Amino acid sequence: MNLEPVNNFNPDEGGIPEGFSRTSSATKSSEEYFLNMGPQHPSTHGVLRLVLRLDGESVLGVVPHLGYVHRGLEKVAENQTYLQNIHLTDRLDYLSSHINNLGYCMAMEQALDIGIPERGEYIRVMICELQRIQSHLLWWGVSGMDLGAITTFLYGFKERELITDIFEELCGARLTMNFFRPGGSFADVTDGFIPRIKQVIEIMHKALDEYNTLLTGNIIFQERTKNIGILSKETALSYGCSGAVLRASGVSYDVRKNDPYSIYDRFEFDVPIGSIGDCFDRYCLKIEEMAQSVRILEQAVQTFPEGPYRSQQKAVYKLPKGSYYSQVETARGLLGTYIVAEGGPKPYRVKFRSPSFSNLNILNELAVGHKLADIVTILATLDFVVPDLDR
Amino acid sequence: MGVGGASNLTEQVAAIIDRYPGGVKMVDSIEFLVAWARANSMWPLIYGTACCAMEMMAAGSSRHDWARFGVEVARATPRQADLIVLAGTIVEKMGKNLITLYEQMPAPKYVIAMGSCAISGGPFYYDAYSVIKGGDRLIPVDVYVPGCPPRPEALLYGIMELQEKIKKEGRRNPWKIGDILTTPFIDTHTKAKKDWVILEQKKDQEQQAARKQFKLDNPDFKPAKAVRLKKEKFEAIKPETREPQGISNLVLLQKIQLQFPKISVSPQEDILDLTVPRNNYTDLIQFLKQNDELGLDLLLQLSAIDWKDHFDILVHLLSTRDGHKLFLRCRVDKEDPEIDTISNIFRGAEWHEREVYDLFGIRFRNHPDMRRIFLNKDFPGHPLRKDFEDPERVIKRPY
Repeated sequence: MNLEPVNNFNPDEGGIPEGFSRTSSATKSSEEYFLNMGPQHPSTHGVLRLVLRLDGESVLGVVPHLGYVHRGLEKVAENQTYLQNIHLTDRLDYLSSHINNLGYCMAMEQALDIGIPERGEYIRVMICELQRIQSHLLWWGVSGMDLGAITTFLYGFKERELITDIFEELCGARLTMNFFRPGGSFADVTDGFIPRIKQVIEIMHKALDEYNTLLTGNIIFQERTKNIGILSKETALSYGCSGAVLRASGVSYDVRKNDPYSIYDRFEFDVPIGSIGDCFDRYCLKIEEMAQSVRILEQAVQTFPEGPYRSQQKAVYKLPKGSYYSQVETARGLLGTYIVAEGGPKPYRVKFRSPSFSNLNILNELAVGHKLADIVTILATLDFVVPDLDR
Repeated sequence: MGVGGASNLTEQVAAIIDRYPGGVKMVDSIEFLVAWARANSMWPLIYGTACCAMEMMAAGSSRHDWARFGVEVARATPRQADLIVLAGTIVEKMGKNLITLYEQMPAPKYVIAMGSCAISGGPFYYDAYSVIKGGDRLIPVDVYVPGCPPRPEALLYGIMELQEKIKKEGRRNPWKIGDILTTPFIDTHTKAKKDWVILEQKKDQEQQAARKQFKLDNPDFKPAKAVRLKKEKFEAIKPETREPQGISNLVLLQKIQLQFPKISVSPQEDILDLTVPRNNYTDLIQFLKQNDELGLDLLLQLSAIDWKDHFDILVHLLSTRDGHKLFLRCRVDKEDPEIDTISNIFRGAEWHEREVYDLFGIRFRNHPDMRRIFLNKDFPGHPLRKDFEDPERVIKRPY
């Protein structure tokens, strides 16, 4: 193992760091310099490294360096059986692990023609929506903290723990669930499931109002997010953004609505879209998404059916030869699972199309022209998870 | 070293006081006081790489609140911290940064390895080519907290164990820095295994003796019959067929074949897998993007498959307006793999192509920034190729 630093960048010899082109967009009289941010930095939400080209405090360019938690998940997946791989999807984007599980299971169901009973579908939808709220709550708390408001961190985690309790009662895990299986889930819901969700719905109604009073209406917060990091519709599409980042720019694409999976087409909910695509739009959109998830939960709680929670199960699944693709809407955007099968109990190739990877790609477009402190705002509203980026 | 690793002066003062009656007791009391104070004001570094960081945050937030145990001010810089919680996987690229962080912390400093990844590599022990199998291969670890991820309560317990350890420190048991990097990997597993075997044997003997005694005491005892629980049976269900979104695959294929007649289709019905000849590859994607009628405006992903004798480049496109998808494949030879870039058509393809270059070694002609994206520059080989082997890094799965 080689731990010596590779290719040290020496500014005195007229060198420039990797990824930057030699010519700069700034005027010649300006004093340019380079600044390293990360991989150990509290506002990069993990281990992301950015190299910034600055003129005073203005940003001239950003080059993100990835791979500080690249774990080779896709290689590990090639050597495990299909069922063993479900737990790997938890560790992709650990804040929406249930939804990742669902995406992987759906690809298997597509290959093996497995159907899911009514109750199983309801469980899936309800858990996925709870997961979305949980993830957004953490994002809300942490992004507030990035902008200097520590209170939001404590408030966000207060409600988040209630939802974590539901998950813990279901599958014993708080974060990496490994709950869904092809054909349903590995266990039925407990008796406390519905009453607990009703309690969460009640609390969330009050809490969302509280959040808006606490942070959304805050004048300092608005000053720091409005007209910062504007993303146009065309740029968002050409970079392949998805989720709230894409919708804030005015493209109404939500997999739940536009390509419905599970039983999302039975519920009434809106897909909020933004107008100009700045940081404030992305922020408001996520708050509104929480309200919409609560709305789905309200409908699902009322019509939650009795019956079997899963269909026939097998110990070993063998996918027939071919390629299978499924897509789900995680809390961050579009997660695509592409499985190439050769007939055996192990996949030939698994590829995850992770939402954060494409969403972070636009960072340079957003940051140029803004100040150094705005990068933190932009990073907070892009809402990425670094292991999801690196896989 | 003197009181908790202080200078020579304190050692000299302690030696003078020791000579007087009751002096030893006095120095010991002061040492205890210092260690007690140190144990109850840990300043952790905000260091989290993966999932465990979320549980570390939960331990610091409203419900669990590690401030109750004196772990209060989480610091963003290592220069102000004396505790580092290794929350999450440590990969080779992060390894040297982690050592730097540890070296920048002022002594005495402590390390908690949180979760399986930081203890041994955890779920990525086998087959992973970039994961360091345990934080203790890089820096000395004081307390291990198992779990994947551990609950916040487990982390709090780990912190309390560390506090107990710190409280025992003094001149008879001074804080010592481990010999970083030169220390060979300590095999704690073999010794633990031997201890375990001895323990098991002892337990067996005790149980046998207890059974004999029980039979002697109750000669007419009959155990209750065990009843096997019925396994739940579930019926197989046929999936509901859903109408595919947007333009149907047949119409798509016809429209494309009008322009490019040499395109063939893979035998699969629900997803349209088009095999594109290499000389039409960029033209076709240009055509698809510009064609408003088809509306394929979003690049989902660009990836590759290694078929042992050749590669396939995969391009997945999506229509945000109508919701239909189009999957393309393009064959690339194994010898000197090279293909044109599409990053001038879809700008998002730039990173995807860098990923393919990193993991498969396929080069893209006219790419603006052809560098590795995930792995170090000096990483040997391309790990997602089927013939990739690296016994130095990869531990093969034995089953």
